[in-house]
Amino acid sequence: MSLRWNYGEQPVHAAGRVAPVSKRFSDQLIAVLPRLRRFAAGLTRSASEADDLVQAACERALAREHQFQEGTRFDSWMFRIVQTIWIDQLRARDIRKENGEIAEERLGSDEPVRRVEARLALSEVRRAVSLLPPDQRSTLMLVTVEGLSYKQAAEVAGVPVGTIMSRLARARVALQHLLHAGASERRSTNDAEA
Amino acid sequence: MQKHSDEALVAYLDGELDAAERAHVEAWLDAEPAARDRLLALSDQAGLLRAAFDEVSSEPVPERLIAAARGEIAPLRGDGEVVVLRPRRSAAPVETRRWYVQMAAAAGLFGLAVGVGAGYLGGHTLAPAVPPADRQTETVATNTWLDNAAADYRLVVNAGADSMLDVPAGGEGNDALQKISQNLPQQQVRLPDLKPWGLTFRGARLVVVDGRPGAQLVYGTDNKAIGPLALIIGSTKQPDLAPTPGRRDDVNLLYWRHQGRASVLVGQGNIGYLWGIANDVAWQLDAI
Repeated sequence: MSLRWNYGEQPVHAAGRVAPVSKRFSDQLIAVLPRLRRFAAGLTRSASEADDLVQAACERALAREHQFQEGTRFDSWMFRIVQTIWIDQLRARDIRKENGEIAEERLGSDEPVRRVEARLALSEVRRAVSLLPPDQRSTLMLVTVEGLSYKQAAEVAGVPVGTIMSRLARARVALQHLLHAGASERRSTNDAEA
Repeated sequence: MQKHSDEALVAYLDGELDAAERAHVEAWLDAEPAARDRLLALSDQAGLLRAAFDEVSSEPVPERLIAAARGEIAPLRGDGEVVVLRPRRSAAPVETRRWYVQMAAAAGLFGLAVGVGAGYLGGHTLAPAVPPADRQTETVATNTWLDNAAADYRLVVNAGADSMLDVPAGGEGNDALQKISQNLPQQQVRLPDLKPWGLTFRGARLVVVDGRPGAQLVYGTDNKAIGPLALIIGSTKQPDLAPTPGRRDDVNLLYWRHQGRASVLVGQGNIGYLWGIANDVAWQLDAI
């Protein structure tokens, strides 16, 4: 492998079709990859699923580079692509829940016993997020984790700001309940074992 | 939005209320201890949420994603097309770099450079597939390497660079480099010139890279958006690795391996600058 970067070569598919990739565009994309992975990790239920989602988003972004408008936020544009692909995947798998519905799965159901309390708490948070309805999960990740404003999140999601506000509040309240339920269940298990 | 609601509390925490709404919520908080408790719980929850996902963004980005961002690999669910790269041209790099550096310098340098980004981070070929077990070992080694690089950087920055340096720079810094090189078993350390970026070589330290001695080159600058920076260069037996971003808390890293040399650029400035500087460093290390 050579480290010599970017001397103008472009990927060429074996069939001979040239896939032109602007270096500046791919540099922007590479710079935002850590945040895309974090966002995808909040949407999906496994690291590999999250990386597959980000990879698919990269491919779509490169194919639609011409649609990106200079002067607008690149990260928001990419978040939107990630979210769109994710929703398409959910629909394809027919597992999307109705708005406001929370999956019946509960914290701690079949989790292996964990040894480190701090890691347990953080992994329970991730697990609780994964139990939220998709719209709430996505809004929570965009605003609370990625730090987008309500207006920016509304643009990414393609909904009014008011919808973001209500989704976010419902997500935060549901999360509080889920975490509380998980903690109670863990306490009961510990008491029983004692 | 209802004035006394979770929606109002969450929006208050997120700084999304106007002055009148904020005052209303604050009056409510003053009047009701239960609302204050709720606000505190929501606030704690936000911190927990960020912590829960932060480690994802500080992990090294998998090579396959960087390759995907460069359009270098076959589509995930594609039609089986194989993507290959055109043969490299040999003449372009020097002129391209000079154009880039001069243009950046002429334009007051840094503001322009951020937008333009990384310089050359474009078209490397993919490394050959590594067996899973080897890949795991490699990942652990890389993580350790980056942890150490970030810790070495903090040490220098927190202590103030000069007091920690084994060999402070004098003049152009070549003496310091020679002294450091004498302690390295396999390689001659070269000093990338980062003056076009406003970075001045401050000196060098001996550190450990991949179990072997390496050099930490420390650069200073008055530009808070960039520096201070540390470049750690060592030898490695691991396969070549394309430039990859990483993060350890508030420290950004860009690391790569090339022909037995492992390099990592460490700093707390804007990641866009780091890409550009790393590109310049990589070019100079190969060209000098």
